[in-house]
Amino acid sequence: MRYFFKTIHLIDYKNIVPKTVIGLFIILILLIPVFTRNVVTLSTLIMTGIWAVAAMGFTLVLRTGQFSLGQSAFMALGGYASAILTAQMGLPFWPSFLVSGLVSGLIALLVGMVVLRVGGIYFSIITLALGEIVRIIALQWEPLTRGSRGIIASAPPPIILGGHELVNFNASLAPYFYFMICLVAVTGLVFWRIGESRLGRTFAGTALNPVLAEHQGIYLMKYRVIAFTVAGVFTGYAGALYTHFLQVITPMVFGLWQSIQIMIMSIVGGIGSLVGGPIVGSILLYNLGEYLSRLDTPGLQSFLFGSVVVIVVMFLPQGAGLVNLWERFWNKVVWREEEYEPDEPED
Amino acid sequence: MKKSFFSATILMITVMVIGMFSMCGTAVAEEPIIINVAIISPLSGPAGPWGQVGLDVYEAWLELFNKEGFRVNGKLYNFKNINYDSLNTPEGGAACAKRAIFEDKVKFIVGHWDTSFLAVSAISNPAKVILIARNGNEAVGGGAYNPEKMPYVVFGTPSHEKFLSDIKAIVAAYPNYKRIGISDSTLGKGVGWDYVDRDLTAAGIRFHHEWYPFGTQDYSPYITRFKEAGCDVIYGAGDVLAAMMITKQRWDMGLKYIKTGTAGGLLDPKMYIDVSGYDASQGFIAQHANPLDYKKTKVNPKFIKMFREVQDMVSKKQGKPFNYTAWTDWGCAHMQILAQAMMKAGSVDDPDKIMNAIRGGTFDTMAGKYTMSGAKTYGSPIVFGNPGCISIIKGNKEVYLSENPWKPIP
Amino acid sequence: MPPAEILIEGLTQSCIYMTMAFGMVLVFSILGILNWTHGQLFMLGAFIVFYSTTAAGIPFPIGILLAGLVMAGIGILIKKFIIDRIKGELYIGVATLALIFALEGAASLLFTSDDRGLAIILPGVLNLGVVAISYQKMAVIIFTLIVMTAMYFVLNHTKVGLAIRAVAQQPVAASLYGISTERLSLIVMGIGCALAAMAGAIMAPLYPINPFIGRTPMIMALLAIVIGGLGSLTGAIVGGLILGFLHSVIAYYISYLSEVVLFGLIILILLVRPQGLFGASAK
Repeated sequence: MRYFFKTIHLIDYKNIVPKTVIGLFIILILLIPVFTRNVVTLSTLIMTGIWAVAAMGFTLVLRTGQFSLGQSAFMALGGYASAILTAQMGLPFWPSFLVSGLVSGLIALLVGMVVLRVGGIYFSIITLALGEIVRIIALQWEPLTRGSRGIIASAPPPIILGGHELVNFNASLAPYFYFMICLVAVTGLVFWRIGESRLGRTFAGTALNPVLAEHQGIYLMKYRVIAFTVAGVFTGYAGALYTHFLQVITPMVFGLWQSIQIMIMSIVGGIGSLVGGPIVGSILLYNLGEYLSRLDTPGLQSFLFGSVVVIVVMFLPQGAGLVNLWERFWNKVVWREEEYEPDEPED
Repeated sequence: MKKSFFSATILMITVMVIGMFSMCGTAVAEEPIIINVAIISPLSGPAGPWGQVGLDVYEAWLELFNKEGFRVNGKLYNFKNINYDSLNTPEGGAACAKRAIFEDKVKFIVGHWDTSFLAVSAISNPAKVILIARNGNEAVGGGAYNPEKMPYVVFGTPSHEKFLSDIKAIVAAYPNYKRIGISDSTLGKGVGWDYVDRDLTAAGIRFHHEWYPFGTQDYSPYITRFKEAGCDVIYGAGDVLAAMMITKQRWDMGLKYIKTGTAGGLLDPKMYIDVSGYDASQGFIAQHANPLDYKKTKVNPKFIKMFREVQDMVSKKQGKPFNYTAWTDWGCAHMQILAQAMMKAGSVDDPDKIMNAIRGGTFDTMAGKYTMSGAKTYGSPIVFGNPGCISIIKGNKEVYLSENPWKPIP
Repeated sequence: MPPAEILIEGLTQSCIYMTMAFGMVLVFSILGILNWTHGQLFMLGAFIVFYSTTAAGIPFPIGILLAGLVMAGIGILIKKFIIDRIKGELYIGVATLALIFALEGAASLLFTSDDRGLAIILPGVLNLGVVAISYQKMAVIIFTLIVMTAMYFVLNHTKVGLAIRAVAQQPVAASLYGISTERLSLIVMGIGCALAAMAGAIMAPLYPINPFIGRTPMIMALLAIVIGGLGSLTGAIVGGLILGFLHSVIAYYISYLSEVVLFGLIILILLVRPQGLFGASAK
């Protein structure tokens, strides 16, 4: 698995995207619910954001050189935790939501402490088996999870401020949209900070050359477990939001195919960047899947989806995802243009 | 006096003439108003064939149904189906429901049967869209169904009761049975089975349950467990692949005396023979929804004629004989319930009025007369009067075996 | 002791997993990648034998060989036109995973997703009184024995086999001795895909055939090679045997809970012996 990282070079955002572009982009995204009230568009975007958070978690784990095939299990754990706490135990929504990610993170910590010392492809298979076990437990532990009937997780309660109803989740999808934006932003910020910090460089170091890293006095297990746990926490939140957005969770919602979906989004988007890559990947692939599911011919959708992913992977520059295309574009096209404009002052 | 009589006559004649003209006008130029109904079912993926088999049928059936249409408040209405691919996942189902309700402005969802029931109802209920589905495990008491929170859900196909009817029909056909084995995948586990167990025990039927993980290929452990429990019939409530493999594997294990079957319509006897083998699939029990064969259930002769025409139309379209009959009590019956409820309610767009008409009402459908139990069962408008008819494979044909009509609860 | 029928059925299952797993390990040891589309090649093999026997009237054994040949060709094409053009194991992994969707979609388009069967081949059951065994299951077991013997012979007594073993152990040294790693990897890819397709073809009479049948055997074969030890051919065989038998025997005692036990056991094996039962050492 560590060979993956020989070809990747990590992206430094500061050089490739000016702050004004990022700012404009964020404002545009925040204004989407003002422009459109279309339920289908908004819910597609919300789903995109949720999968983006899960893909970010996958990318973080991959940063330490570990290839997790059970990320959807953490979505299921977070979703079930939140659904059980609110629907089965009658606790209020917000504390339950906060706890859900912690539950998923705690399980990631425990599992990681036992499993991560194995590493490599064996870790992938153990996480695959873990995903199956979570699904089977959700199916069999009927008193808690209601088995295959699933739990109905109601929408978050309206937020009331000074006797005035500020936000109502039942009235429109805009609150969900901003909820999703908050989740993506918090996750992105945390992951970005991790990527920039000493911790992030240590992650990359452990992946690039585990032996060397170990000889430098880096305790590999510790960093792998940290990455796995942090990813587990945020993937759990993504699962909880998913559950409360669909308002239902059943054992069939998260499985191996969802883990594969997360993985494809993350890698096609580009693993050189912890935040940008997963977001780009999920925006492109989720919407592609959404568009394809409208096709009438059965089979054509999955054929096209698979072919598009294969073609994208084949024609991407060596060892890079879609975000790297942006970098290339910026460096080769945009920079050059600015060089020819001497009047523009540089900042 | 005379003058007033004269003017009154003229007035009457004018009114009559205008009335006649206006009637002629409507009769000649009346365009039916089209009501869209959404059909959300898996069209691709492993469950795809079961969604696809409905498409041609619904198309053909609606063509016949729309020739006559139905009248509400003197206006003529037609149904038009829009198909959505749910991919058999809650996420896919929810996406379809949103597309149907908010993009295509559909007010009714019919013929729903896949695993996305809860996700779809979470969207259709707040939007006041009537969802007609089957009552699976979700629906029975203690399941996820809640009559207060889901006021616009109708269980138009009582799969749960139908399963019990099947078992009773099997007992009627084979009175010397030893014990009936009921197999289902773990996906189907839930409180629904407590009700089945209670009702079967009350009816004095000997049975034994086994569950297998979904996607199992080797059923010999489960068949052996059935054998050791003394079963001589294994009736599957799960997927049809499992039923076909159980049929083949018990034959290969030398347990030829065990009869097998599945709670679902026979797609095409050829498929079962191809997969399980000719000898092994003889006597394979399945649900039979062919109104031509019913002996105890009465179906309106008009619908029997319609059934024949639909089978002919679909056979012609597909270029091969169309043998699947279990469509009669799905989407088409749901649309008939909807149309008759609209006529009764006198409204095509007020979901509350239509729901009031559905609750406790009796409807004439392709699969016999349905009585909606209203609040008497699980608080929901559940259908009763379903034929519960079973058939077996004999040679290369599907043959009527037995029948146990589900009686309305008094 | 569970009844003999369960053991026979378990052995039949094991045979399929073994053949699949063997091909996957072979590809892994030479190319260094896991071919995730193995299950879909299995499915296509079943379809080829279905159409060649029902539509073209080709005898079943020749149909199996045909399936193996055609899929070996397709495997080589996949290797040449997709895998070779992608750099990095990670991206190859994603491409083969995406091929799962593409091939399943293509099969649904070509053959529709209806279920089919081939139970007409070799019907009949041999009843020995104590135990009944169908001819189809015997065919699967005999076929697997033949394939395994042939593979043993090829690997140990031919030049190609020697080259394969050499490249698996020391790729650089082997190429120094004049072995074309490129050509060898094509051959191995062809053999691996042919094994998957033939496994699909031989089981076609036993199970339903639809575009989605490849998923379970692929996961089971993957688990088999991992508990057997990645890169170990003996491990693939033993892993396949363990999975096939265990699943059936555990299911006989505790019914549907066997799934939990099975996956728990796999995790346990990997935790106690991370390199798998026959793996040399953790990579």
